[in-house]
Amino acid sequence: MYKHLFFLLSILILTLMSCDKQEDTRNWKEASWDEIEKQASGTTVNFMMWQGSPVINDYINNYVIPTLKEKYNITLNISSGQGPEIVQLMMGEKQAGSDNGQVDMVWINGETFFQLRKIEALWGPFTEKLPNSQFINFKDPFINIDFQQEINGMECPWGISQFALVYDTAKTQNPPKNLQELEYFIKKYPGTFTISNDFSGMTLLKCFMAELSGSPDGLDGEFNQEKYDTLSTQLWDYINRNKKYFWKEGRTFPKEHSKMDQMFSSGEILLSNGFSEGGIEDKVLQGLFPKSTRGYAWENGTILNSNYLGITYNARNIAGAMQVINFLISPEAQLKKADPSGMNANTVLDVSKLPKDYKNQFKKITARKYGPSLNELSNNAIREPAPEYMLNIYEDFRTYVIEE
Amino acid sequence: MKNKEKNIGFILFVVFAVLPFTLAFGYALLYSFGIIGVVNEGFTLEFWKQILTSPTLGVSFLYSSIIASIGVLLSVSLALWVVLNFKESFNNKYISFIIYMPLAVPGIVSAFFTYQLFAKSGFFSRISYKFGWIDSINQFPNLVNDNLAIGIIITFVSLLTPFFVLLYLNIYKDERIEELSQLSKSLGANKNQIALKVSLPIMLKKSWILIVLYFIFLLGAYEVPLILGQESPQMLSVLILRELKQFDLTKISEGYAMAVVYTVIIMLVTIFIFSRKKLRSNAY
Repeated sequence: MYKHLFFLLSILILTLMSCDKQEDTRNWKEASWDEIEKQASGTTVNFMMWQGSPVINDYINNYVIPTLKEKYNITLNISSGQGPEIVQLMMGEKQAGSDNGQVDMVWINGETFFQLRKIEALWGPFTEKLPNSQFINFKDPFINIDFQQEINGMECPWGISQFALVYDTAKTQNPPKNLQELEYFIKKYPGTFTISNDFSGMTLLKCFMAELSGSPDGLDGEFNQEKYDTLSTQLWDYINRNKKYFWKEGRTFPKEHSKMDQMFSSGEILLSNGFSEGGIEDKVLQGLFPKSTRGYAWENGTILNSNYLGITYNARNIAGAMQVINFLISPEAQLKKADPSGMNANTVLDVSKLPKDYKNQFKKITARKYGPSLNELSNNAIREPAPEYMLNIYEDFRTYVIEE
Repeated sequence: MKNKEKNIGFILFVVFAVLPFTLAFGYALLYSFGIIGVVNEGFTLEFWKQILTSPTLGVSFLYSSIIASIGVLLSVSLALWVVLNFKESFNNKYISFIIYMPLAVPGIVSAFFTYQLFAKSGFFSRISYKFGWIDSINQFPNLVNDNLAIGIIITFVSLLTPFFVLLYLNIYKDERIEELSQLSKSLGANKNQIALKVSLPIMLKKSWILIVLYFIFLLGAYEVPLILGQESPQMLSVLILRELKQFDLTKISEGYAMAVVYTVIIMLVTIFIFSRKKLRSNAY
């Protein structure tokens, strides 16, 4: 019997050990770009990203992957995963002391950046190494500061977008633009407003909190517990006082933002929200939202932030990941990403730094038909507050509102 | 020869069931005490204190138990009623197809069906509006993501009933309940007496272990309450997963502590059931 046990155990151990080892011992921080390019050719890069949007998937699968193969002979593998999954994976690999990560690069925003920095799961700094980073304006505070943390070259900006509120002009003529108007609005149309218990909903709450602070930059700077306590008490008081007019009388809240979109399109709620200036254009084109859908910013401002690409601390193919990221921030790839019939994303590049012909091409991009442009909202853009605000709002929204 | 086969079976059981389970359980236990974990700083009872003093876990346990009990109770009752009253219909190919089809539908799909049918913007709400029973979407009752977990229970019943129907049809045949009923009838029992004193006791006695196992299964259900549940209270698996994936990395250990509590309770219940040989001997 023990013989059998031993046999089976050894099979198990051998299987675990046979996971291939491919050491990347070079010091890529010292290497020249030529060396990096040479090393990257013919390799495979594993990229973990959020795959919840058809237009983004289309951009990656039908443009990025074939172009990388053709131009740099790099095979890009996509695996699905966003914020929490990436953090879970990296925590697991850290825990196991794995030097051969499953993924080389990740698509993240400030929330995940904060978590990954905390567990030291990112490799870098590397952005200065990338030739195309010359086109990015790293002096722009909306780019070089992510959730009030300086990026310090540990992640490379890939896109920038502003949070916006979404409404249907056919059903709502004057959507609320501040907390007072919102109070009138939900009393007039009870059951048509709610806050999703996820990243988007928390962003909306941060915008509300900024309004309560009295100014657009009221939450800037390091986390201030005293300020948070005062403002959050006011915020929970405001919500609890009014939540009987919320969706389902405020007894429950949607778990995810995607549900908000569905409820908005079916008319169950009248106000929605979202990043990418509300993400209206592609949803109207897909037929999910009616053509009368429009977006706007809160009077006191809505959050403008960037999203980034990072390299994992245990990436197997650092050179390849750098080459891919450099391509993704190239004028060519960013122009394609801005295509109104495709991803329709704002470029993270500073157009004034680009060569002339690209400058012209970026200027030629047609305006959006339904959603607002970043420019139209820019007067009402506020910065992302320190991550501790998010941390506390998440927890307190559950304690003082959901479980109240 | 027979002995050897038994050994291999036992070894396979250890390697593929006991070993991974023990390792995972040990990992969760160490994590819950802060001994391992990237952001943990060493042994602490803080996480256990936190989950044992806060009502969240207890409320979730109670809430999950009530939902699972109602789900199992309704499914078993419905299945018994169907089998005792309509057993002949199952000879019809089409009727049996309709009854058994839900067996092939995964829980997550079933949950989406329920959502599409019973949500405020769903099928029944639209029908009611067309017929003029309601004037606006908000008049339709809350049947999904609701406080009473109606959506979750509907889905559980739709998933479990076909299984129990199949089970009771077999028990009915195997235990020769038909013949026993005839016999009781010839001895002067009426229809109710036959059902209450002959058919039901046999069928329940034969199926009680499965009923308890299904209760445990529903207690730990994840996708259905995730899609159809509310944000508070939440069913156990949804709560534990939420704790494990939370934004504040320093509190992930609380999720592991909850998972340990849940596993220990389920293990104790299971051991209790299967150690009582006398009760087990007659059951399926």
